[in-house]
Amino acid sequence: MIPEGISLQAVAVPVTLLITASLALLVGVFNRASRLGGSIAILGLTVAAGFGVFDLLQRGSATQNYFGLQWHAGPVATAIALTILLGALLSLLIGWNAAGAYGVERPEYETLVVLATLGGVVMAHAGDFIVLLLGLEILSLSVYALAAWNPRASEEEAGMKYFLLGAFASAILIYGMALTYGATGSFAFDTIGASLGSENVGLLAVAGSLLILIGLAFKMSFAPFHQWAPDVYVGASMPVTAFMSLVVKAAAFGAALRVVTAAWPNVDGVVLQGLAVLIAATLVVGNFGALVQPTVKRILAYSAVAHAGYLGLGLLAAHQGVVGANAVAWYLLAYTAMTAGAFAVAYAVSGDDAAADEVDRWRGLGAAKPGAAIAMTLFLASLAGIPPLAGFFGKFLVIQAAFDAGWVWLAVLALVSAVVAVLYYGRIVIAIWRDGRLGRDVTLPARLRLAVVVSVVLVVAFAGLPAL
Amino acid sequence: MILVPILLPLIAAALIAALPAARATVVATFAAGVTFGVATQLGGAAAINLPWIDSLGVGVRFAPTGASAMLVIAASLAMIPTLVQAGRTADRPRVAAVSLLAFLGALNGLFLASDLVLMYVFWELSLIPTLVLLAAFGLDRKRAALMKYVAYAFAGSLMMLASIAAIRPLSGAESYALSDLQAATTALPAGVQAWLFAGFAAAFMVKLPILPLHAWLIDVHRQNHPAGFADVAGTLYKVGGFGLFAWSIPLLPAGAAALQPALLPLAAVTALWGALAATQQTDLKSFIAYGSLSHMGIVGVGVLSLTPAGMTGGMLLLAAQMLSTGALFLLAGMLHARRGTFEFTSFGGLGATAPALAGVTTLIMFAFVGVPGLSNFPGEFLALMGAFNASAAWGVVAVTSVVAAGVYGVNALHKVFLGGKTGETADLSRPEWGVLAFFLAGILWFGVNPGGFSAAVQADAGPTVVAAQTTVTPVALASEGGAR
Repeated sequence: MIPEGISLQAVAVPVTLLITASLALLVGVFNRASRLGGSIAILGLTVAAGFGVFDLLQRGSATQNYFGLQWHAGPVATAIALTILLGALLSLLIGWNAAGAYGVERPEYETLVVLATLGGVVMAHAGDFIVLLLGLEILSLSVYALAAWNPRASEEEAGMKYFLLGAFASAILIYGMALTYGATGSFAFDTIGASLGSENVGLLAVAGSLLILIGLAFKMSFAPFHQWAPDVYVGASMPVTAFMSLVVKAAAFGAALRVVTAAWPNVDGVVLQGLAVLIAATLVVGNFGALVQPTVKRILAYSAVAHAGYLGLGLLAAHQGVVGANAVAWYLLAYTAMTAGAFAVAYAVSGDDAAADEVDRWRGLGAAKPGAAIAMTLFLASLAGIPPLAGFFGKFLVIQAAFDAGWVWLAVLALVSAVVAVLYYGRIVIAIWRDGRLGRDVTLPARLRLAVVVSVVLVVAFAGLPAL
Repeated sequence: MILVPILLPLIAAALIAALPAARATVVATFAAGVTFGVATQLGGAAAINLPWIDSLGVGVRFAPTGASAMLVIAASLAMIPTLVQAGRTADRPRVAAVSLLAFLGALNGLFLASDLVLMYVFWELSLIPTLVLLAAFGLDRKRAALMKYVAYAFAGSLMMLASIAAIRPLSGAESYALSDLQAATTALPAGVQAWLFAGFAAAFMVKLPILPLHAWLIDVHRQNHPAGFADVAGTLYKVGGFGLFAWSIPLLPAGAAALQPALLPLAAVTALWGALAATQQTDLKSFIAYGSLSHMGIVGVGVLSLTPAGMTGGMLLLAAQMLSTGALFLLAGMLHARRGTFEFTSFGGLGATAPALAGVTTLIMFAFVGVPGLSNFPGEFLALMGAFNASAAWGVVAVTSVVAAGVYGVNALHKVFLGGKTGETADLSRPEWGVLAFFLAGILWFGVNPGGFSAAVQADAGPTVVAAQTTVTPVALASEGGAR
């Protein structure tokens, strides 16, 4: 039944996710009020993560392509897929009690989350542009719906914005793929990589690669294509925002990593220079943008842009060798843990109420909820890159990879702009520990607390992870 | 055993955070006392080398050297009376005790680490308690001081991080262990070494501090709690000289030689400028801050002289000033408790009603300005000697600061204790005597026994001094010739 040459092990994660999504959807058909779908989703994501860990341990550092080059299996891809699963799990836990907040039934919510996760996993394993696009569209269509899930004006606006810009970005990406196909005669990364190197493919291939770069830059929220990100993040409900900044970001970088390492080893230098310029702009815009934001959610949204810059540094280094690819995978894990934790606490503190989310309204959290305040301080310190927390080692890895690959000016710029990051994260920390009355009553439901605890453990114990 | 001075204060800090506030000071003082006791035995402690993050080449590596053992002793000793004083004066003694102990543990880790990344971890960790102390106990305008401090400190740290991240890929060193790094980095071309050294120097100059990266220092001291316990932590935290001595000069001797012509003058000017500014201050705390800045300039010229004598002297002075400057800040706090101000004009004639206070202050001030026989003198002398060997012209500039020190020291004593009486003042209380006794003992100890410490510093600093000597001597001679 299984075609020859196909390893079930290699596709166990996406198959599990597909089954999970179908089951969660079916439960919703029969019982609208049941939360069983959510439990199934969490169970399915956990089982899929188990398969992923098994694959990582079994595979070692071996890489292999299946389905005629279309599906790439390797340690970095699997590690990123695992991070995507972790991000999905954490955002489900964060949003568990949000059900029915605006009178919307939601059996399909978890289904869409799992489907989007499936799309992300497919992107991270893509071996050619068709598979990449397939994963991207599965992911994007699900997230368009999630962004506009609740019938609030801000969310509908966020969903619409995300849809329009997402479609625009996809169109650019597809155009780039078409041009690349025209130049090389293939969609498969390996073949493209070989022909970009061997023949004089000319301007067509450069134009195609640049368009692909721009399309991916939208998804990775690189400046100046980042503008949708803060708006959509702020408009959407917090659990969805968390999902977007965790899963969608990890998937975008997983896909970009595949393109850079497999399809572009011999790409024209202009494309890499372009990528470097985008990264530089992202670092500056993200960090300085975050400095002037009034609410914690907006600061986190801009910080997500800034972190895309650091991830981009690893991406650029990955072009020169495996050090960079590993750095991106580790950075994504660190980023997922600390960002998920920060969003979890932010959701507990402010709900979706922007007024309660202003930095000054966080005053008094330290006295009212010391546990949550300590956790948030750890997350913010980690985001700022204070050792020995996860964010520091993530930053250290990508910067080292950048030096290794010879991108000295970019590495120095990344560190210079990190000074600003300390200031805006520090602003929140100071507010947390000052006297004052919180904007609203803060409660941490059990599952949200679990998400916080998991994130704290990952952020603190990151340097002790055996594989690092 | 080498882990005790690091872990004991950190564990004690965690314990105190869980204890009722009433016991905090007792437990904290006891922990600091034990830390000091263990620190005095550090000289023969075995090094530790445990794996941590293999793929990054980072390990849990600690090794005592003469300089680091001495600095751990001085810092731990200074922390005992500081904790007592914090318990007596802080409105939230538990927060103060936890911060000060966490700071001591992180600082000792910074001194004793023999892995570059581990050193950086402690470098950042020790910053956080000083920020907490300022945020929790600072005065009205602490917010601005805090932001300035954070901006300077992190800008410097991240420049150092750039060098740390770059140094292993560039040199191909096996790991971040000091010995592994040194084997590879000393072979780097001078131009590369200079750039890497500049990254380290950015962080170390902020924390030395020397001009023009000192601006945060005065604000932080002015805004700290008047009792002075937070200022003692700030004083112990002037570790830039140690960073140059223990890390960047041994790793990058050619880089040090290349940048010496730029950095040595900065340090010399810092010494003179700090001393001149100290003569002009009208506020006791700013006065101490500027005087201390001047000493840091002398530490800087000593270390940057790249001569064995100068570098040893720099480390001796660094340790000695922890005690003399720390004691002065606590004394200033005691005066503030009596008069509610730091303004010189509000004092005068205190010697008549508070003779013990006047006597102790005089002794400590003499140590502060470098009177022979007391703690600061040996280090200051050696550091300036080194400076003369490196460059006669800048040596003269640095030495001028010692003349100015005599002026500002005597002036300050005169304004506070002599002259017309400005009302009755309570003399030292018994607990205050207790607090100051530790400092007096330390100041005398470092004053009469400099040989013991300096021999250890120079002997254990072998690689540093040898590397500096072999690579640097011709350049240093050339610059000396140029100065003439």
